[in-house]
Amino acid sequence: MPSSELTLGIVGSGGDGVITVGDIVSQAAAFEGLNVIKTEAYGPQIRGGESSCNVRIAVKHIEAQADRVDVLVVFNWADYGRFKGEMVPGDDAIILYEASDPTPPPEGIAPKAQRIAVPYVQIATDAAGTKAAKNIVTLGILAGLFNVPVDAMRAAISKKFSGKKAGLLEANVKGFEAGIAFAKTLGTIGDAKRLEYTKGAPKVILSGNEACAIAAVHAGCRFFAGYPITPSSEVLHFLSEWLPRVGGSVVQTEDELSAIGAVVGASFAGVKSMTSTSGPGLSLMTETLGLSAMAEVPAVVGNVQRGRPSTGLPTKTEQSDLFQGVFAGHGDQPRVVLSAEDVETCFHATVDAFNIAEEYQIPVIVLADQAIAQRRETVSPETFKHAVIDRRVPKPEEMAPYQRYKDTADGVSPMSYPGIKGAIYQTNGLEHDENGRPGSMHLLHEKMSAKRYRKLRPIRDKYHDFYRMGPEKADLGILCWGSSKGPVKEAVEAANAAGAKVAAFAPKVLYPFPKAQFLDFQHSVKRILVIEISFAAQFYKYIRTFMDLPEEKVKIFARSGGKNLTVPEVAEQIRKALSQMSHEEVLI
Amino acid sequence: MSATAPAFTAGDYKTDLKPVWCAGCGDFGVLTAVYRAMAELQWNPWETVVVSGIGCSSRLPGYVATYGFNGIHGRALTIATGVKVSRPELHVVAVGGDGDGLAIGGNHFLHSCRRNLDVTYVLMDNEIYGLTKGQAAPTTPSGDKTKSTYYGNPEPSFDPCELALSVGATWVGRAFSGDVKGTVDLMAKAFAHKGFAFLNVMSPCVTWRGDDQFKAFKAKARPIPETHDRTSRAAALAFTRETDIMSCGILYEVKVPSLIDRLTEMKERARAKQTKEPTTDDIVRSFLPKL
Repeated sequence: MPSSELTLGIVGSGGDGVITVGDIVSQAAAFEGLNVIKTEAYGPQIRGGESSCNVRIAVKHIEAQADRVDVLVVFNWADYGRFKGEMVPGDDAIILYEASDPTPPPEGIAPKAQRIAVPYVQIATDAAGTKAAKNIVTLGILAGLFNVPVDAMRAAISKKFSGKKAGLLEANVKGFEAGIAFAKTLGTIGDAKRLEYTKGAPKVILSGNEACAIAAVHAGCRFFAGYPITPSSEVLHFLSEWLPRVGGSVVQTEDELSAIGAVVGASFAGVKSMTSTSGPGLSLMTETLGLSAMAEVPAVVGNVQRGRPSTGLPTKTEQSDLFQGVFAGHGDQPRVVLSAEDVETCFHATVDAFNIAEEYQIPVIVLADQAIAQRRETVSPETFKHAVIDRRVPKPEEMAPYQRYKDTADGVSPMSYPGIKGAIYQTNGLEHDENGRPGSMHLLHEKMSAKRYRKLRPIRDKYHDFYRMGPEKADLGILCWGSSKGPVKEAVEAANAAGAKVAAFAPKVLYPFPKAQFLDFQHSVKRILVIEISFAAQFYKYIRTFMDLPEEKVKIFARSGGKNLTVPEVAEQIRKALSQMSHEEVLI
Repeated sequence: MSATAPAFTAGDYKTDLKPVWCAGCGDFGVLTAVYRAMAELQWNPWETVVVSGIGCSSRLPGYVATYGFNGIHGRALTIATGVKVSRPELHVVAVGGDGDGLAIGGNHFLHSCRRNLDVTYVLMDNEIYGLTKGQAAPTTPSGDKTKSTYYGNPEPSFDPCELALSVGATWVGRAFSGDVKGTVDLMAKAFAHKGFAFLNVMSPCVTWRGDDQFKAFKAKARPIPETHDRTSRAAALAFTRETDIMSCGILYEVKVPSLIDRLTEMKERARAKQTKEPTTDDIVRSFLPKL
């Protein structure tokens, strides 16, 4: 059956080559111009142990990981048992399991799915002389049965193994061809989905963390300090290679206290700088974010949310750092909090973060989450364009004498940096006057607080972008943010295609709160459904901090993380919310 | 930038802000030494940055007419790290007290020594928390009665110079702020050192340690003998954990590549492989499928 979409799940142990299968399939699909979202999951072992890979391939732009797999490759049923809840075959799925596996399959897996025993080990041993080639055999089978791009995979295999140990490439090519031949022996399998597509321009395939790191280089960041933490370390890894290549530096600091301190130091010295972390690290950085706000030193922090509190679920997603991102810190301190919704927006949000931080001399936090930071996704290389704004330094007439914290109409005072002769200043985290001199008078504190907060107004006027999905007027309006936007969008599109009138709204700027845009949306829908991955419904409570959400008109779907939000989950909530509305209401 | 550097006097490094310190505070001597040492090296004020944390002594950057940053408690060296690594051509001095640098900021002290970060760290050591009004610090002698140790300090103290020596500082010295001339001399040498220079200035607190501390420091201070081998860590350690004397001078001094030297070398290595600086598009295209 020709299909414009295909989702593969591969499960095995360390050494089975599960990750390689996922890599080659997704690289081949990206090369053909198809859209791909790939996620990986591992057991708790540092090395070895069970691993799984989920690859969704589609002709259309896709917004989320698939909830059900069409094809499930199982090298070992025991390993599969550990991913049972996360990798579910659809009713019409095809399961290709290792024929020699003595373990029986766990009960209750897609009873209607077709199960085919595949002698992966035997084919690999016969064709390539080593059972290690069974993952490459798998690629051949996937090409043969489901039309996963065969030529591109062949090229990828050639690239991967050429120049390696003598005979390795030849052996793997034989394994690949043997897989294709084996698929032929199975003939046509019932309703097996076969990818049907027109080849397009190749796309890049990368993670949200990598997109964030590219954004840093693009924005002119030349200093990064960070401390390793899952799930954000890839930003540190990437920049440790690329920043020196553009003349910048990376310091892996002793802790997050030091990382943010160094960022503030470099920024004070006139160099665009950032750090990246996750919730526990952001907790340690909080005090220095206050310094950044008080001394008006630009600082950019990427925060990749994970399951919390405390150590929580380090490798899995959640949207529960919203309060922390916006409110953490002692005292009244203005800051900006942006949101990223997918890999591409990790790039744009990070460039915006630098632009805002530099233009307004303010700390900016980008809230991403594990679901988008660590998945790999195809993006057109043309989309990595974004205007860059630099800091305003004092003009000669502003240096006689220079007032670092001059109380201006928009609250922004020109910022000097070491090396500028006529604008030397001393700053501090104490309350200070327009010259930066410490003072503790109430009137001074009131005046300077107003100056710092005044900057939020132009920021809100300029940065209040949002996503608006669905019809202009709708029966139901969903409020969501971050990685939830993808599955919500797909579910909304499906609901509207089925005749419902559902809209959705996701802000790109969390703080300053884009109130007018929220209100416009609220007025365009009859009822509201809030969807978020936070057990305590932080997003719902956050919105209510700024505006009224009448309880009789609002439903909340807030659950804990550990699992990405899925399209069927959203669809179910939409169905429930609509069915709870009276018949008349829907007709009005 | 400074081909025709004008001659600076010590007074040129002075701001018009009046120090908040108590009359008789040892930190006045340190401040004077900062002015004179900078003048001795003729550092351009606009190319010099003084960074601090929180505490009495951490107010110092406000009194020095260079770029200055009085940050938050314990984090002076983290800010100094960012300034120096991002702008290696600047002169960077971090200052602060013993509580700031050894208690709340102790971890940063260890790692700045280890990295051989190319900054000078001047620790004004009065063996007490002054700004919070008289609590025990990591340098407060065991048994001393303070505001927070009613029955006497139950904890042993440590010697910051011993710590610096053991974790990789490449220049370690001890001064007594009552000897301004000696402090100026040591500070200028610390400033000129390439690598992490740690100057522990014994700087009495007249308010919380009384006149006795000043008198004791003065009585115990004596110069390190000319015969001392400054390149020997073992020999340097002999001048730490002293009780009846307080040896002042350079304990240790070696020339090894600083963090800046290493990062500079890495940048050169990274760039040697490329014919031009990569653009955003070049970086993005490195993510095209590898076929």
